[in-house]
Amino acid sequence: MVLKLDLDGTVHHVTILARRPHLVLSVDGRRHVVEALDEAGDGSRRLTVDGAPVSFARAGSADGAIIRLDGRSFALRRRDAAEASAAGGGANVVRAPMPGTVIVVHKRVGDSVQRGETIVTIESMKLQMKLDAPRDGEIAEIAAREGEGFDKDAVLARLVATAEG
Amino acid sequence: MMTAPDDNPPFRKVLIANRGEIACRIIRTLREMGIASVAIHHPVEARARHVREADQAVEISGETPVAAHLDIAQIVDAARAVGADAIHPGYGFLSENARFARAVAEAGLTFIGPDADTIALMGDKISARQFAADHGVPVAPSVMPTQDLAEFTRRATEIGFPLLIKAAAGGGGKGMSIVRSAEELEGAARLAASEAQRYFGDGRVYAELFVERPRHIEVQVFGDGKGGAIHLFERECSVQRRFQKIIEEAPAANLPAALRDEICASAVRLAAASNYRNAGTVEYILGADGRFFFLEMNTRLQVEHPVTEMITGLDLVRLQIEIAAGRDLPFTQDEVSANGHAIECRICAEDPEHDFLPETGTILHLDAPQAAYLRFENALDRGQRVTADFDPMLAKLVAHGPDRAGATRRSIAALHDLSLLGVKTNIDYLARVLGHPAFAAGELHTGFVIQHKAELTAAEPDEATRDKVLIAAALGLRDFRDLILGVPEPHASIGPWRN
Repeated sequence: MVLKLDLDGTVHHVTILARRPHLVLSVDGRRHVVEALDEAGDGSRRLTVDGAPVSFARAGSADGAIIRLDGRSFALRRRDAAEASAAGGGANVVRAPMPGTVIVVHKRVGDSVQRGETIVTIESMKLQMKLDAPRDGEIAEIAAREGEGFDKDAVLARLVATAEG
Repeated sequence: MMTAPDDNPPFRKVLIANRGEIACRIIRTLREMGIASVAIHHPVEARARHVREADQAVEISGETPVAAHLDIAQIVDAARAVGADAIHPGYGFLSENARFARAVAEAGLTFIGPDADTIALMGDKISARQFAADHGVPVAPSVMPTQDLAEFTRRATEIGFPLLIKAAAGGGGKGMSIVRSAEELEGAARLAASEAQRYFGDGRVYAELFVERPRHIEVQVFGDGKGGAIHLFERECSVQRRFQKIIEEAPAANLPAALRDEICASAVRLAAASNYRNAGTVEYILGADGRFFFLEMNTRLQVEHPVTEMITGLDLVRLQIEIAAGRDLPFTQDEVSANGHAIECRICAEDPEHDFLPETGTILHLDAPQAAYLRFENALDRGQRVTADFDPMLAKLVAHGPDRAGATRRSIAALHDLSLLGVKTNIDYLARVLGHPAFAAGELHTGFVIQHKAELTAAEPDEATRDKVLIAAALGLRDFRDLILGVPEPHASIGPWRN
């Protein structure tokens, strides 16, 4: 399994090279011996990488993680698995470009849409904005509810390729 | 630190017309004084920290949460219904609303603040400026709007340069210019007048002294309402973004003692002349030439009051409450002394890399450092949604040190150790500001953030750091972890990997 993680717009690859006697991971081809000192959940954690102790804090999100390490916070997003395995990858989701409120939901689950058709109208920073279908397809999910707020990068709608398409 | 409740508290019950960190901070002092606290909240914040920490809570309604917190009649009714004898307004919301102060008084309750007339006087820019000028507080020299260009040029030359010239009816930078010499003045005035006529249909022009690289210096004052007033030294709040303070400190860096005394004395003069009652802050703009000018007076507790508390060892909320109850100032000017240096960082949900636009999210993890010299003023909970309903300020991190360099070091270390995950914040940015050589040198002015934009931008992490971040993230992802653990062999023992 190659784990693909997006950090600041660049996708990095993490793979398992060995599990025993030590855990060895490859990060973008660089080999690291890793020992986990704490359990692997969220919160303040420690591990060692190539023998050096590393303290960090972690919070998992639906599609990635936030890591605070050495006085800096980093937001990472998965670029593999669910999102990448669907045909068209990231083009199947309509994401919020910034936090705001849903004004109008124009489509319903099951509707066929063509690329460029408006799916939702949102309001952010007092400006209204239309979010369009990134490709032809069928609406698989509408997560947006009129009047509700959302965070930046929230998935507001998902598309699937139409059966005949 | 808990102290025994006062033997004779000035009130029995106080309603706090506010929320968030300041409501929690006021509750703390009320508890120390043996006074019952009452919180107010909109339905969306029913489980908020200030609601849980108060002795009693009242739900108020409104179309938006902010509208509820601005509903004077509802809040005064709530205070009467619970039998409160006073209302503390905190900062923001209704704290500088003269109608609110009047409504509280008319309901037979004590407003922990100045009287309504003083709030109105200081709340109006023009009347406040005039009052200050009348009492010997320096105001920036200006030429009042006129269409007579010869008269305008003569009076403007008297003020000196540089001058800011603008359309009296203006806005948006139209017809505005900075003039640095008498030779430029006439042409600039003519141009401004013609642009003013063209854009606004009003050819009158206005000029005031332009202060280059201004510093924001403010003085904490206390008045007893009977003409007695003292100061608790100054604060510097020059590090600002989007015209709002993000780092405040006390005392101000590199301020000559004589100039400090002069600024503080003028603030006391203003407070005494207005028979000021309550905590107040007189704000000034200070030029590189040492000239300072009155900006405005805030007639309430200031966001950054903890830096003053840390250098003086005083509790400003307690003083506000005692004075509101009619007690005298418990000490004289000579009895107030300052010790060391304190810095406050405002932790905001915002993106410093994108013009400091507000961010939203959910607080997934919160771990704040603790030390005797630190205050982390907040009302945050894990799982709490950070929405656009309220101000983006999440918390204040305040550090005290024996001197400015010590307070700076402690602040940077505390920001480093502060872990607040789930919403983008300015924590790392604030650490970069404090670590900047110009900050260390005290070379501050209100354009600091813009001047040093390039150096204050986050550097790319090095490869070693990035790899550690990626490993830390990968190990937190369930399916990746399961692969390491060898699931579907769930009980396979791989030493520390089993959990």
